[in-house]
Parts: sequence; C-alpha cells; structure tokens
Amino acid sequence: TVPRPRGVSISMASFYTPGEKFRCLDGSRTIPYEHLNDDYCDCQDGSDEPGTAACPTGRFHCTNAGYKPGTVKSSRVNDGVCDCCDGTDEYSGLIECVNNCKELGKKMREEQQRVRLLQEQGYKTKLEQINEGRKKREEKKAMVEALEKSKIQLETLRNEKEAKKQEVEEPETEAKDKHKQQWEEVKAQREAQAENERINEAFIKLDANKDNIVDIAEIMAHSEFDINSDGEVSVEEAKEHLEDAEQTDPAYFAEKVWPHIKDLFKKEEKEVEDPGAEEPKVPEVMDNPDYDEDEEEEHDEDEHDDEDEGDHDPYTDDHEHPDELPLEEENKKGDQEMPEYDEETKKLIEVADAARAEFNEADSKLKDAEKELNDLKSYLNGDYGPDEEFSTMKDQCYEYTDREYTYKLCPFDRATQRPKGGGSETRLGSWGHWAGPETNIYSAQKYEKGQNCWNGPDRSVRVDMTCGLENMLTNTYEPSRCEYVFEFSTPSLCTPVPADSTRDEL
Amino acid sequence: VSRDNFKRCDQSGFCKRHRAVDPGHSPYISLFDTLDIQPSQISVELLNTKNNVRLRLELFGLQHQTTRIKINEVNPLKPRYEIPVGDVLNAEPQQDTLTVVEKNDDHITLSLEKSIIVLNREPFRIDFINDDEPTVSINAQGLLKFEHLRKKKEDSQEKKEENEEEKASCAEEEVQEEDEPDMWEETFKSFHDSKPNGPTSVGLDVSFPGFEHVYGIPEHAESMALKSTKSSDPYRLFNLDVFEYELYNPMALYGAVPVMLAHNEKRTVGIFWHNAAETWVDIASNVADKTFFSKMADLVKGSTELPQTDTHWFSESGIIDLFIMLGPEPSDVFSQYGQLTGTTPIPPLFGIAYHQCRWNYNDEDDIRNVDAKFDEYDLPMDLLWLDIEHTDGKRYFTWDGSKFSHPDEMVKNLTVKGRKLVTIVDPHLKKDDSYSVYSEAKSQNHLVKNKDGSEYEGWCWPGSSGWPDFLNPEVRKWWASKFAYSSYAGSSKDLHVWNDMNEPSVFNGPEVTFQKDVLHYGGWENRDVHNLYGFYVHKATMDGLLERTGGEERPFLLTRAFFAGSQKFGAVWTGDNMASWDHLKISNPMILSLNLVGITFSGADVGGFFHNPDAELVTRWYQAGAFQPFFRAHAHLDTKRREPHLLPNANMLAIRDALQQRYSYLPYWYTLFYWGERNGGPVMMPLWVEFPKDKSTFSMDDQFMIGKALLVKPITEQGSTGTNVYFPGNDLWYDVESFQTYNGGDTTYVRAGLTKIPVFQRGGTIIPRKMRNRRSSTLMKSDPFTLFICLNREGEATGNLFIDDYHSYNYKNGKYILKGFNFRKNVLESVTGHKDYQTDEWIEKIVISGFQVQPSIAILKGSVSGQKELEVNYDIVEDNIIIRKPGVNIAENFKLILQP
Repeated sequence: TVPRPRGVSISMASFYTPGEKFRCLDGSRTIPYEHLNDDYCDCQDGSDEPGTAACPTGRFHCTNAGYKPGTVKSSRVNDGVCDCCDGTDEYSGLIECVNNCKELGKKMREEQQRVRLLQEQGYKTKLEQINEGRKKREEKKAMVEALEKSKIQLETLRNEKEAKKQEVEEPETEAKDKHKQQWEEVKAQREAQAENERINEAFIKLDANKDNIVDIAEIMAHSEFDINSDGEVSVEEAKEHLEDAEQTDPAYFAEKVWPHIKDLFKKEEKEVEDPGAEEPKVPEVMDNPDYDEDEEEEHDEDEHDDEDEGDHDPYTDDHEHPDELPLEEENKKGDQEMPEYDEETKKLIEVADAARAEFNEADSKLKDAEKELNDLKSYLNGDYGPDEEFSTMKDQCYEYTDREYTYKLCPFDRATQRPKGGGSETRLGSWGHWAGPETNIYSAQKYEKGQNCWNGPDRSVRVDMTCGLENMLTNTYEPSRCEYVFEFSTPSLCTPVPADSTRDEL
Repeated sequence: VSRDNFKRCDQSGFCKRHRAVDPGHSPYISLFDTLDIQPSQISVELLNTKNNVRLRLELFGLQHQTTRIKINEVNPLKPRYEIPVGDVLNAEPQQDTLTVVEKNDDHITLSLEKSIIVLNREPFRIDFINDDEPTVSINAQGLLKFEHLRKKKEDSQEKKEENEEEKASCAEEEVQEEDEPDMWEETFKSFHDSKPNGPTSVGLDVSFPGFEHVYGIPEHAESMALKSTKSSDPYRLFNLDVFEYELYNPMALYGAVPVMLAHNEKRTVGIFWHNAAETWVDIASNVADKTFFSKMADLVKGSTELPQTDTHWFSESGIIDLFIMLGPEPSDVFSQYGQLTGTTPIPPLFGIAYHQCRWNYNDEDDIRNVDAKFDEYDLPMDLLWLDIEHTDGKRYFTWDGSKFSHPDEMVKNLTVKGRKLVTIVDPHLKKDDSYSVYSEAKSQNHLVKNKDGSEYEGWCWPGSSGWPDFLNPEVRKWWASKFAYSSYAGSSKDLHVWNDMNEPSVFNGPEVTFQKDVLHYGGWENRDVHNLYGFYVHKATMDGLLERTGGEERPFLLTRAFFAGSQKFGAVWTGDNMASWDHLKISNPMILSLNLVGITFSGADVGGFFHNPDAELVTRWYQAGAFQPFFRAHAHLDTKRREPHLLPNANMLAIRDALQQRYSYLPYWYTLFYWGERNGGPVMMPLWVEFPKDKSTFSMDDQFMIGKALLVKPITEQGSTGTNVYFPGNDLWYDVESFQTYNGGDTTYVRAGLTKIPVFQRGGTIIPRKMRNRRSSTLMKSDPFTLFICLNREGEATGNLFIDDYHSYNYKNGKYILKGFNFRKNVLESVTGHKDYQTDEWIEKIVISGFQVQPSIAILKGSVSGQKELEVNYDIVEDNIIIRKPGVNIAENFKLILQP
C-alpha cells in the first residue's frame, strides 16, 4: 500500500508528501506537515485532518478491504461507533471494532448477484411489456385516425339531419300555434256567453214579479244580501247592492250590479243546492266563541256590527270557501279540452317526428364516436413510461392485505382500502402524476384527492416502484395520518446489468 | 378550547364567596391573651367577631430569611388536610430565632435576621419590614375568610336545640351563618358534586407594598408579568387537561405551582401558598396605605405614592399555610424556595440534548428509519419517543406485539449511537382483568374510590379505566416496582419514561378530570388533594426509575401535571400547544414562569402539537427550542410528518444549525443545571434576574438569559428578517456567530434571516463549548472544548464548567470536576474548584473576542504538562484571537500568558 496519512485514499495520497509543508486542498493556507492529523483543524476544507474528527467538514476514507471502500464524515471518527467495516475510523480505544468487511463483501456480492438475476429476468418481461405497450399505442393511434375520419362523416350526416329537422319543424310549429290560437278564441267566446246566461238567469231569479225590473224589495227578499248578517236585508243593504239605484233594468244590472253581487249570488245558489252544510260540523268548538269570532273575521269580509255577534252562527259561513269551482270545471271539462289537430297539422307533425328521430340517431352516433375518441385520446395522452412499459398495468388492479385492511391499487386510476372484515371501500386517491425524483421520475406515482380525513388532509398515496418479476403490490404503510405509501414491484423498472459492473468497486 | 367545559369563577361556589368578601372590614382580631411565644415561633388565636369562631395562627421563623404562617381552626369538627412533609416540602423547615422587639396592646414586633415582623391586634394583620420599608402585608385588605367545618342544618328544630346546647356550654356563642347555595352541593353542567363536608374553603390577601410586578403561579398561557384580574376571572390553579388552550387568559392548565414572586428595583420577595386544593388568585394594582406604614416604616421619603400589588388567594379546602421568602436578591428567593421544596437535579446530559417525538412512530421499522434519517442528514438527536400507540391496547408497560415485537433489539440499535428510547406510561389503567397491572391494583385495593367506597371508573385512552391512588405511599411503592426490568419487559437502563394525562385527565369527568368527591388514601377527597395527584404519579415513577438501577443511573422523566416540588423528579412541558406563531411566542413566558418557581427543566412542544406548521414556523420553533431548557419536537397523530429532513433543504439546514448550536452549548447548559441543583436558581431566566435594577426589563419576556452569559431573543414573528434587541447593563454583548459587538443600554435592530438565532454572549464571560458535531451527546463525551472568551470593557472575563460522567449519581459522592476560568490582564487562568474525577476531555482551542491590542505570543504554563508556546492566529473577519491547540486536559490547572 501507498504510505499516506490516516483517512486519505490512494488517489489523494499524492497531495500529502511527508516532510513537506501541506497546502490545504482549497489552497487557503499552508501548514507544517506535523499539523496534519494532529487533531486540530487548520484548513477550512478539513483537508489537514482526514484522519481525525477535528474538522467539521472533513471526510475520512476507509479502505474496507474485501468490501467496497468508503468515506464517512469526520464526525464519525473516534466517536465510539464502528462506521467502517474495517474499523479504521475507531482507533482511540473508545471501542474495539471487529473487521467484518469480508463478511459484508460476501453478502454484498450475493446480493448483487441476486439483484442482477432479478433485473435480468425482470428486464425480459419488461421488453415484452414494451412491445405490448407500443403495439397498444399504435393500435389506439390507428383507431383514432379511423375514428376521426368517420367522425367527420357522422358530423356531416348529423348536420344534414338537423337542417332537415329544422326545415320541417317550422311549418309544424306554425300550424300548431294557429290551432291553439283558434282554440283560445273559441274558449273566450264560450266564456262570455256563459256569463251572459248567468246574468240573465240571476236577473230572472231576482225579478220576482217578472216586470223586467229588479227593485229594492226584490233584493231584500234574498237573504244572501244580508251583509251584516242580522238576519234581514235592510233597505240600505239592498240599495248598496243596487249601486245606490232604486231599481235596475237588465242592462244596468249586467254592467254595474252583477260584478259586485256575483260572488254573493253564487253563494246563495250553493246554499240552495246543499242545505246540509248549514249544520254545525264541530260542536265542541262552540265552547270558544272568541275563537270562533276570530275565524269568522278572517272569512267574512263584509262589515257587520259587533252587537250582532251573539246571534250569529259562524258555521253557516263554512261554505264561504267555495268548493264549487272545481266542480264547475269538471262539468265543463269536455268543452275545455282542445280539439284534435286537423288532418293537415297532424301530417306536418308526423313528418317532423320522423325528422327528429333521424336527427337523434345521427347525433347519438356522433356522440358515441366522440366518446370513444376521447377515451382513446385520454389513453394516448397518458404517460406510461418512456417505452410504454407501464401500459400493461393500466386497467388492472392489484391487492395487498395486512392485519386490518385490503389495499387495492388500480394503476393510472385509483387506490382504495377496505376493512378486512368487510365494510365499505375508502378511496385513498385518484391518479395524479409520476412522482419519482427528478433523476428517476418513473420510480413513484402519486394518487391524490382521496376521501377527506376527519381533522386531517385528503387521503393520498405515494406508490414507490421497484424492479420485480411481476406487477405486484408488496407492502403498504401510513407514515402520516392519511398519507399512505404503497410499495409496488414491477418488471417495468428492471434494467439490464452489465455482467461486470460491480467489479470496479471490489 | 371549548371554554364551556371549564368552570368560571361564577360557576364555583367558593370562588364567588371569596370574591364577595368586602375589603377593609376584617372581622378578625388577634387575642393577645392567648399569645404563646417560643424561641422560633409564636402562636395566637384569631377571633372572627362576626361568628365567634376561633382560629389558631402560628408564625414560624425559618432559616434563610423565610417565615411560615399557618392558620387553622382551633377546634375543627374533623382534621383538615395538610400536605405531608417530605414530599412537596423536602423536610420540616429549619427554624430560626424570632426575637420580640416590642409588645403592647396594639401590636407585637418581632425580628427575624434582617427582617421586622409586626403582628397587629385589631384587625388582625401582619406586616414584614425590610430595611425600613414594608415588603409584604398579610390581611391588609381584610380578606381573610376561613370557612370552618360545620354540621349541615337538617331542619330548623334541630338547629335550635343545637344552638341552645352550645349556648349553655360556650361563653361565646357561635353565630350560625346563613347557608348559601353551593355550600353543601354544587352542580356544573351534568356533574353533581356532593360536598359531604360542606363549605371548607380558606382565603387570605397578601399585599406587596412598593411592588408593581408579580410573577409565577404557573401554569397559565400568560405573559410572564402577571396582570390585574380586576376585569377577568382570577388566575386559577387546578390541574386540568385543556384541549387547544387559549392564550393570554387566567384559565387553569396542566400544572399548578402556587408560588409568586414580587420584584422591584430594590428587592425580590416570594410567597408559597402551600395548599393542594383548587386555588384561585386575584391580582390588583393599588397604592400603599402610607398612614398605616408611617407608624413603623421609614417609607415616606418621597412625596410620590407608593405603588402596591394586592393579591388574594383562596383554596377550596385545607388550611392556610403560607411561606414568605424575603429575598432580598432574586437569587436569595430562588435559594429560599429551593430550601423548602428542593431543586432540579442535574439531568443526564442526554436529557438536555434534542428529543424527537411524535404521536406516533408506528413500528420498529419506522423508528429505524427516523433514526437513520437523522444520521443521513447529520442532525444530532439523543432520544426517540413512543407515544400511546406502542402499547398493547393502551395497556402501559406492554408492547403492541405486531408492531414492536423486538423492543430490546430496537433499543440496542439506538444505544449503539448513544441514543435512548422514551416510552409513555400514563396513570389510567385499562379495566381488563387479564391486564396484570390493573388486576393487581384492583386486588390490592390500590385504586381511587367513589364517594360510596366503590371502585372509581372513568374513560381515557384505553376506554373504561381505573386510577391508582398515588396519594397512598404503598401504592407508589407498588407502582415503582412496575419499572423493574423484570416487570417491564423490553425496558432497560436506556429506556426512559414520560407520564402524560396525570392531572388526571378523565374524558367523561367534570372539567375532564376526577369528581371532587372521589376518595383517596386516608379518606381525603380529591377536593383536598387534586393538584397533588400528578405530582405523586411523577414521584412514584421517578422512584421506580431510580430503583431499577439501584440509584446509580440518572433517569430521564417527563410529566405534564405538576405541583410545587415537581422539579425534583424531572422535566415538565407545557402540554398540548398548537402549531401557530402565537403559541411559539408564548412558549417563552410560559417557560420563564416555570423557571422562576423552580421548574427549571421545562419546555414546549417544538413545532406545536396540534395542526400543521409551515416550514418557516417549524424552523423558528427549533431555533427557540434550541435555547429553552427541555428541547423536544412533538406532533399530533393527525398531523403531517415534519422531521427536519422532510422540510425544504434551506429549512433543514437552518434546523441542523440550530441543533448543532444546542449541542455545542451542552457543557454550558449542563453547568447551569449543576448550579441550579446547588442554588435553586433558574437556567432560563428573565433579564431582571441578572439586571434587577433595570426597570425596563421587568415585564420583558420575549428575550431572556440562559445563565449569566447568554442573551437570547428568538424570532417568533412570521416573515421576520430581524428584530429589536434590548442589550441590558453596561456590558458589551457579542453576537455568538459573527462576534459583532453591541453596547449595553441600547436597543438595536439585529438582522435575523431564516438561519439566524439572535444569541449574544455577555462581555466578561467565558463559555466552554464542544464544537465537534456528533450524532448524539453521548458520543461527545471525550470531545475537546473550545473556550469562548468575550472580554468586557476592562479586558476581563470569567466562567466555569462542571464535568462528570454525564449519566450517573456519582457526582453526589464528589466524583466531578468544577473548573473556574479567569481572564485578567492578558492572562487566562484555569483553576480547580473541585476535582475528584478523571476525564479525557481537553482544550483544543481558545477564542478571545474584544482584545484591544493583538498579542503575538501565547505561553501556556500547565501544572502537569509544563510550559509551551502556542500559535496565535488572528481572525480578521470576526476580529478574534485564536489560540491554537492548548492541548491540556480540561482538569489541569494552567496559566495562558498573552504577550504583544
């Protein structure tokens, strides 16, 4: 061996010449040779103390014969811990180190052999995966091209169908609207007629002496005009109904009187038709006249004197909530329904329906194609490694079960967890991105935005990938709450090892 | 915090009653005809003229300028609780002569060393006079209120008969007071407190004439200088587990030390309210009653008003037992208090190094990886910690077999590199008959009882649990035996312990703790002893850790709950803080307050326990923690991992630098703890302790001293790139990294980018440091020292250093070295204070700052190594002189002579 200060490697030995002054390797200063390894740091770069712990930045070289040579931080020298397998870092007597370099070397070589075999075997699979992946990509690309073409045709067809549809829908809409308008007019006419009939009927009914004049006396004969509910219709009340006139002829009646008495009059009609409603329905409420009064106030909008309260039976007013309107509606239902379209319109609709169906078919075909295209493109946009080697794990899922949970990784899609004993699945994350270090970005994946943790972050998973013979989830753990780490072995990360690559280090 | 879970004063019967006492109308008079004067104590009865109940006052003269005042009922219906001597109090305090100076119908004047004590007859009142100035007054506000034990009035008939009976037998009739609600039972939320003994509270006011600043009574998330409680609740002392505690308020926290210090430019005094029950303290600013004092003291020198701080103390039960420590220097008060309750023993060196904790390191692999990462990134670390998840179902003293199946091997992997493991051992025991610790405790009747005598049951981490009755000495013995290696599988001398949840925390109890009527040893209620429970858990655990090595090795032990005297058993931390800048900021006053009352080995969770700190906050927190006595990073289960190597590189480097600074100063910290054990003083202390006459420092708690030589102003503001530092005294102050100097008396802006901790060495001091970066403090054992000498304006400096084996109790047998270093007139002299220990440690370098004229020759004259000339180098950047490799053993006496 080349004579050199403790802790200096052979390659550096030439910088340390016995008897000569030593120049710090950073050139900062020159010191006597005796100051080398004298356990005092003179050089900023620590180069004067390669064999002691004196310099904070120094490095100690151990030969480690039988194993690989190494350097340890100066702070590891003479600290009572054996860091070099040859034990040369501990010479102060704090600890006796056993030289276990041979043993380690043997283990290392065995391990290297194992790794080499693994890498080689795995690499074979990887090549297959690359083939498969590239083929897959080519196929998908071809499919995209084909689809793009047919998509253009489908678009044209769809647009044609849409134009056609619009063309026939225009007369259809016109005819339908016309029909509807006509119907509205008929309805209005009918309603006016019915109202006139009701006025006539009412007038005839009120005109007790049939002199074609309704006077105050005739009004007073009708109890429904008893506004203050004192049991009789007074002259004033009657006059009020006649809009302060003494009497009315049919024309004045229709114009002035009817609009105001119409509701009262209807009530009267109802009373006659349905006398049973006069009976009290809920006798127990009678005990509470105040309450009744309140109810009454709400319902009866007509004025009345307070003194009249006692005599007044509120329950006769129950049918002031007229149920009859719906009844009337029902009676008239036949008249209310719009008549069928005429034959001409029907024909137009038929034609439009056919055009719509054709359009819908063309449209959905186009959409299907677009979806397929999107799926393909999304695949093609995916990053399955520089040589497509990871593509074979897409659309696959891998499981791993520990003491409590079964974990599932579906690469490029999601990671989940479910309790071993059953129970619902928890989403730990959805595919995010490759997440290895810059030098080896394809060695890890990140799955993000999983279900939120109570009092914590959204769950997420980092998948650490290493070379292995097959795609396999080999371990899972949770270093921080809801931040998972999966270990995954895959041939995709195997690289061929030159047979003698480890030789140099021995 | 969920404030509703904790009582306010108006929800506590006795707090309301004491706060309602009308000041200035004390019903108590001293009955001089009952006066009994002994050489070092006097006793006199106090009569409550409102209800004719008599109390007995005993006043003891104690050594070291200390007085004790005890007040109890003359004839209590049953004994009232007194804390046993030997646990909180080290021993029965040594008495000192009290001399009667004057005695008349109005008052008695006594003298104790340099102090005058005046006992006033009517109203009862005691005043302490030092140097002709009043310093402490007892019952000056007339707030003494002693709720004597009484029988519950069952009905009026019975009461009448009883009264008549008493009338016949007693000359003075005891006047029945009207019961107030809450006297015989009390309800808080859904919890009912049965109060079988009725009202038992005691309260007294203590005034500090001439003092504007009072300190202490931890634990509160509060500034160091205590505030007036006029518009808030009183400060509360009641050990509680408070989730996400709020800052700057008087709510009770995990520990209680009923000790208060008052300080002004002239003197420092202290009081110790020796009571273990729930206690509240009101504080108010006032002006002294000059008319009263003018009769006995010479205070009317100026015409200005004399400020005064009034305090009012009340406890739910027990007796009044008050120690008054009369100073006059801050260091005197520390040693006076240390004489009473003991001092912090020197921790093993690794205990003051860096602790890495998290709830939880999941398994042995996790521990191995964290350990390896610290080495990979060159981050020194001494202890890894395991929280509750390491156990088999929260059964303490056990291991989760699937995650920690080889604890021995795991610990061995750590100890190879000088590291240790800490496991958590909480006092709640899972109710599981197949769990031997519980079943033993149950069968041996060791558990705390309900008021009806049945076994108490509550909820904590393991679910349904029982609690050993640590008040019972037999139970403590039994608990201690659980730490025997044979009993605690996987334990060894390198496994240390952490007591958590020992307030105790009971998830389903009132205020998250025991019911007040739960029963302890001797039939005492939790009401009487509550604040002592955690103290005794801590003590019993320490007993066990001592026993396992036959008292040879110094264990490390941490507790969350504490009381006066807990300093004897190890470290305390400020509990479950939060990852926020406010919590970082308050860690300094909280630890300062603990240091002032003897709990010197204290710290806060670095990084903040709850929530996720950003990288800047973690970095700044490490920098602060590096200059606080107990230095541990900790994090909640729900937080992201935040070990330094996981942070951005710039932050990791800044943290590494902070850690390495801590490790380089370990010899200094260690020496401070030596002095702390000897003299009882704080290691981290307010500026006023060193600069007692500098009024501007009296409420300063964002910068502080570590010992006499280091001034620290940690950055606690987000985004800060510098801070204003106040440099006290007339000294020069040297930046410990750049050696830039600052003048005492100035406030100067100091730049402090992310990597900078503003730390300054005081001119006139010498600090021995170890500058080699090792993986743990244990691996630094034989490393050489560098002496950092910062000269004062006279070109002088002094320092000292304590050295032993750093881990055993042999220093108690004198197996240690105490060195003194003096630099004067260009000569450094190393002298020996004590030497009965061999060490390999030597001096590799001496750095001298503040030289006026640069020397060129250095001659070392060693008492053993002889004379040699040393190389002198001048560092032009730092303006330092560096003496190359003295090479002498640290124990050797030498002179180093510098010549031009």
